[in-house]
Amino acid sequence: MALLFTATPAIKRAVASINALEPSKFPLLLTRITQKLHLKDDRTFSEEEETKLQDALALTAGDLELVLQTLEFFLQQAAYHAAKPAVFTQQLQQLDMDEDKVKTVVEAWTSSGREVVQRLRQRTLNPKQLEDINWRLSLQMAQATQVKMKMPNAMFELAVKNENTDTREKIRMEFTHDELYKFYNQLETIQKQLDSLS
Amino acid sequence: MSIIQVKGSGGSVAVDRSPFYGGRVPQEIKAISKPMAKIDKQTFRKLLQMIVSSMEGKEIDCAVLEELEHDIFTKEVLSIVYTGLYSLLRRAIRLPLTSLKPEMFKEDIKELNIPEEFHSDLASVIFGSRGPQITAHCLENRPRLPRLDCLKWRVDVAISTSVLNRVLEPSILMELTLSDGRIHTFEIPVAKFHELRYNVAFVLKEMEDLEKRSILKIKD
Repeated sequence: MALLFTATPAIKRAVASINALEPSKFPLLLTRITQKLHLKDDRTFSEEEETKLQDALALTAGDLELVLQTLEFFLQQAAYHAAKPAVFTQQLQQLDMDEDKVKTVVEAWTSSGREVVQRLRQRTLNPKQLEDINWRLSLQMAQATQVKMKMPNAMFELAVKNENTDTREKIRMEFTHDELYKFYNQLETIQKQLDSLS
Repeated sequence: MSIIQVKGSGGSVAVDRSPFYGGRVPQEIKAISKPMAKIDKQTFRKLLQMIVSSMEGKEIDCAVLEELEHDIFTKEVLSIVYTGLYSLLRRAIRLPLTSLKPEMFKEDIKELNIPEEFHSDLASVIFGSRGPQITAHCLENRPRLPRLDCLKWRVDVAISTSVLNRVLEPSILMELTLSDGRIHTFEIPVAKFHELRYNVAFVLKEMEDLEKRSILKIKD
């Protein structure tokens, strides 16, 4: 299904408010929205910022909320359908949005759309994600039962972020040469699978 | 020019090296010289077997020690001999075979007044087929961080999500089972996976370079 906006009463009201916005302030608003579009739970503006915006844009709290939600919705839909600029333009036009505002929205989309989509592609539902990799290579020289040794060993620390608990868990492992080689070969097998996808 | 070899007073150990048990004879080893003069070969061999089993990490049965008891060899004396021989062998086996030769070992135990008839039995623990087994057991049980026992993985390609009609982004799910029994499951985005693979390859290369370096080739 292609990108298709329906002129509901709410959208009509929002478009009227957008048309009335001062042209110089509009692009900044869009920039902020595109930057935050990929974040799941964050609001685009903080409460404090919203209060300031109401004054700057001469909108009531309710109208501002509606304008922000509508612009986010337009851009989310554009991202969902990977909308072409021409289609996006035509869709906004049929909602009676002023020509200069349509141009600004589509420009914002053309310049940052690719980035937004890329960020959305990486959005995952798995709460545990590998975040950081640390290692240390050492040479074991002796132990309680053995002296004059020269045995290399590698310690790895994998930091896994758990979004459910908002914690970072660290997985620590040690590898001898043979063990590390085996691990490396397994990673190579995974890499081959990834290569075969592209 | 002739080289004069200086010998220690009364001893036959060359002065240019110290015995494998250290410069000073440890107390528990010193304590065995008297009972060793009286011990019979059978009792000695039974004790030695117990020590070797213990070094290989096997459970040893204290009842065996009781069976060996008789008038001269009370449990106390047997314990002293067991402890001394155990300490002696531990000190020998912790040296690599490249630095402790059989002749040196025999020379050193001669210094301890251990009767000649027991020398070859003692040497065979270190230099015979049991030696590598004991060393392997030591390495296996060294203190270390958990090892990676099992790695399971899968590669998924996301088709569509609530925010994108067409995603086509691969991701990797990994399940690591560590030797401490813990299982970790997590996702790795492709970019992170490259980082992990790069790091592992890098460390492996460093390790190989390290092993080639001359510091590791010094034999001592």
